[in-house]
Amino acid sequence: MIEVIEALSDVTAPLPIAETNTNIYGAQLTRRGFLKTGGTLVVGFSLVRSGVANAEAPADTPIRAFDAALVGSWIEIRPDNTVSFRTGKSDFGQGTVYTAYRQIVAEELDISFESITTVFTADTDTTPEGGGTFDLLGRGTPNIRKAAAYARQALMQLASEKLGVPKEQLTVENGVVSVTVENGIVPNAGKSIKYGDLVKGQNLKLTIPVVGELTSIFGLNVTGNPPMKPVSSYKVVGKSFKNSIIPTKVTGKELWVTNVKLPGMLHARVIHPATLGSTLISAGKVDKQKYPNAQVVVKGNLVAVVSPSEWEAIEVASQVAEQTKWSEWKSLPPQAKLYDHLRNESDWKSATVSKGRKNIGDTAAALQSAAKTLTATYAMPYLKHAPIGPTMALADYRPDGTVTVHGHTQNAQALRGQIAMMLGTTVDKVVIKTYPGAGHYGRSNGGNAGAEDEAVILSKELGKPVRVQWMRNDDMQWSTQSPAAYADVKIGLDANNRISSYQIEHYMPAGQDDRLIGAVLAGLPTMPAPSEKGGILNNTANGPSDPWMYDAVPNLTELCYGTYQVGQKASPLAIGLRDHTMRTPGQFQQNYPREIAINDAAALAESDPIQFRLDHAKDQRMMNTLRRLREEHGWESRPSPSPKAAASGSAPIRGQGVSVMLRSNTYWACACQIAVTPDTGAIKVERMTIVSDPGIVINPEQLKRQVEGGAVMGVSIALHEEVAFNESGVTSENWYSYPILTMNEIPDIKVVLIHNPEAGIYGQGSEAPNALASPAIAAAIFDATGKHVRKLPFRPEYVKQMLKI
Amino acid sequence: MLTITVNGQKRQVSSPEGTPLLYVLRNELDVNSPQFGCGMAQCGSCSILLDGKEVRSCITPAVMASGKEITTIEGLPDRWAKQKHLSPAQAANTLHPVQEAWIEQQTPLCGICQSGMMIKATELLESNPNPSVEQIKDVFTNSAPSPHLCRCGSYIAIIDAVRFASTLMAKGGAQ
Repeated sequence: MIEVIEALSDVTAPLPIAETNTNIYGAQLTRRGFLKTGGTLVVGFSLVRSGVANAEAPADTPIRAFDAALVGSWIEIRPDNTVSFRTGKSDFGQGTVYTAYRQIVAEELDISFESITTVFTADTDTTPEGGGTFDLLGRGTPNIRKAAAYARQALMQLASEKLGVPKEQLTVENGVVSVTVENGIVPNAGKSIKYGDLVKGQNLKLTIPVVGELTSIFGLNVTGNPPMKPVSSYKVVGKSFKNSIIPTKVTGKELWVTNVKLPGMLHARVIHPATLGSTLISAGKVDKQKYPNAQVVVKGNLVAVVSPSEWEAIEVASQVAEQTKWSEWKSLPPQAKLYDHLRNESDWKSATVSKGRKNIGDTAAALQSAAKTLTATYAMPYLKHAPIGPTMALADYRPDGTVTVHGHTQNAQALRGQIAMMLGTTVDKVVIKTYPGAGHYGRSNGGNAGAEDEAVILSKELGKPVRVQWMRNDDMQWSTQSPAAYADVKIGLDANNRISSYQIEHYMPAGQDDRLIGAVLAGLPTMPAPSEKGGILNNTANGPSDPWMYDAVPNLTELCYGTYQVGQKASPLAIGLRDHTMRTPGQFQQNYPREIAINDAAALAESDPIQFRLDHAKDQRMMNTLRRLREEHGWESRPSPSPKAAASGSAPIRGQGVSVMLRSNTYWACACQIAVTPDTGAIKVERMTIVSDPGIVINPEQLKRQVEGGAVMGVSIALHEEVAFNESGVTSENWYSYPILTMNEIPDIKVVLIHNPEAGIYGQGSEAPNALASPAIAAAIFDATGKHVRKLPFRPEYVKQMLKI
Repeated sequence: MLTITVNGQKRQVSSPEGTPLLYVLRNELDVNSPQFGCGMAQCGSCSILLDGKEVRSCITPAVMASGKEITTIEGLPDRWAKQKHLSPAQAANTLHPVQEAWIEQQTPLCGICQSGMMIKATELLESNPNPSVEQIKDVFTNSAPSPHLCRCGSYIAIIDAVRFASTLMAKGGAQ
């Protein structure tokens, strides 16, 4: 995807001339003489605008990858003072690549936000770095920031030579380098030169150090330590610039992935197996009299209908599906017995047991001598990512063995590697183009969202471009899901009502299965199913994901147990309930039980839940965030349950609840006010306050919108969401059987951002609010009723049942 | 062959008349803003205006639009220009207040549902120029055939944008 904010300028090919090299903080600045016209900080490639609707034939698009060691693969400075940058990350609605990333690049280079006229994202043939689209800011120094810092130093070197003064006597403002006169008279005092003039007519290349593997989930990372601009002199970061991609999205001009068409393309609908363990007995046939242009394609257990007409493909697929016969399979546990199955029939021993990073003391002994104890189990169901647009992809396999996939993925380079593996070819034969599309919330961070490999297989079989669009039920029933989990907690309080012992055991099946489902069905190569022998991404081990926040607790044991995916071993195709990371992956499954348990412990201690947290914390940023929450929410400082609590009656009763999280250098605290109607079990979340300290706030308006969105998803998860399944497969098939929150149900949401530049780091903005709601709402239900709800979701039937206990 | 007016232009349609409008618009007429979300009128991402009324194009057969007028978000600027009797020169640089508001309030997150959301907002504001927050919530949730769904959770931003669009419309559009 290329976001051209203004037109591109031409870049002229270099003339071969002897080169000179200069070391720039470990990077190498190479000069190869002069050009007649044009010039950039780095030249050597021309830019092809691609990806317009009815895209030009991909044969015209060279298959290549950028050399990530060249800063020009990341940033180009042009003679007209405009700048473009490239990132392997894609945009899924965070806006980060078009706002925060642009701000960071502009800041490091000391140029205006507006002078960055082009942003290249994610396409494997136009961007350098790869890596999943997650944690875009959370690791503190995005690649693009370091690349910009190197580029700035190279520009300062050039300016220093041009102006005849040391770099120390140069300042930059708005892309203009000037000689300062602070230390008395210097040569050329008061002179200045624009960045554009430094590169004009020059053939420059800056080679920067990078490490990593392009097609891995983490991609390539820029290393080294170029000097970076001090936070105290930031001018562009911190302002609410608008997201440049929104105008095309609201005027119908956006080239969504769904809108990409190729000449001669066929529409496909895949007829997925009847169960998650079925194999094909016989495929149905097309009524050729009625539909002469449609055909059935079968490869192993992959069955599809294709037609030049999309509606015909849909109609015929529905008829063919009815006649297609699959073997029976009923080896999933019934949904009602999911947690029994996990507890009693799962192998939690084969995978390595992980320990919390802050485990300390002897919890068993401390529990023995505790004045009060709490033992509880907390449970979370399977959740769907549930993008509003089901997965789709358009693949064009060519006779020369190359393939271009037009898709929508959080990790184009990883998808490229997966497709190459499936085809038994090398990655240079595969190009992944990405376009805006429906949010995936983590589902495609390992590469695929579901339809891509099916499109490639069908295009190769048919020798034509094939567009695979999953229907709503395909997307609900054949995509991955966020794994169900449960946790057992034992807490001991001492005579002073302080936690003396905290033990939690987290149980969760493997959380990341990036196998290509089309490849699995067609019997083609793909990565192995998760096992105890798997690598970092397909291991059954469950790692500690939720940083411990209560450092004053003297005895702590956190243990994490993992296992195979449910049904995986019993399915002839090793499919079962495939899992995948979803927003706050693993951390949601660990934070939810911990935060309710802390609320439960506060109640046992007859303490106010916010004060109770403060009493057990040492981390000042967390404590400040909590104190701010207390003020901003209008929190009633008192123990739960509320003096007005009641577990029966037809009148709504109000309650308050709190939760906290530390994720990717951002501190979060959430308070909510709910009303529960005991007789119906109905919960209305009336009001929610979220306080976030992400360190440096890069773009307050964009971050606020992201937080609101996450909070709404969080309420949705708390009140509604649970994947339904039977012994054969997922039975949630549409928005009625997998309901999500509607507009009428949203609370008033107050977002408070703590700009904390002293932290010196960009925290991750958009994740965590989705996880905060569930434990806070559970606590509020207890506050209102004096009854515990510990199993998500808090649907009326469940709440009613719990209130009767 | 059917004749449908799409965003002010008469268009001939050769698809079978039972084909849902969504596929006719996207694949035959190259009007790409309505998005496939569920194919069963459960989400609203395919919404269009049919003679000013919001319908779900994924289940509405093409024949239902015969002789009628369809508006998608591509046609919102013209719809506004006509309603305000703007000169062609004025109209050329004008967006519909709903679109202006969606930009000003930075409403879309992934944005795949927002075409349908803006269509619903336009329908609402044409009948109720100054809706309250409660009325906005009610219309986006309780109108037939289903609530308009957003998975990214942009509902607050949508409410902000509808309120902002209402103010813009009262002023005669963005200045």
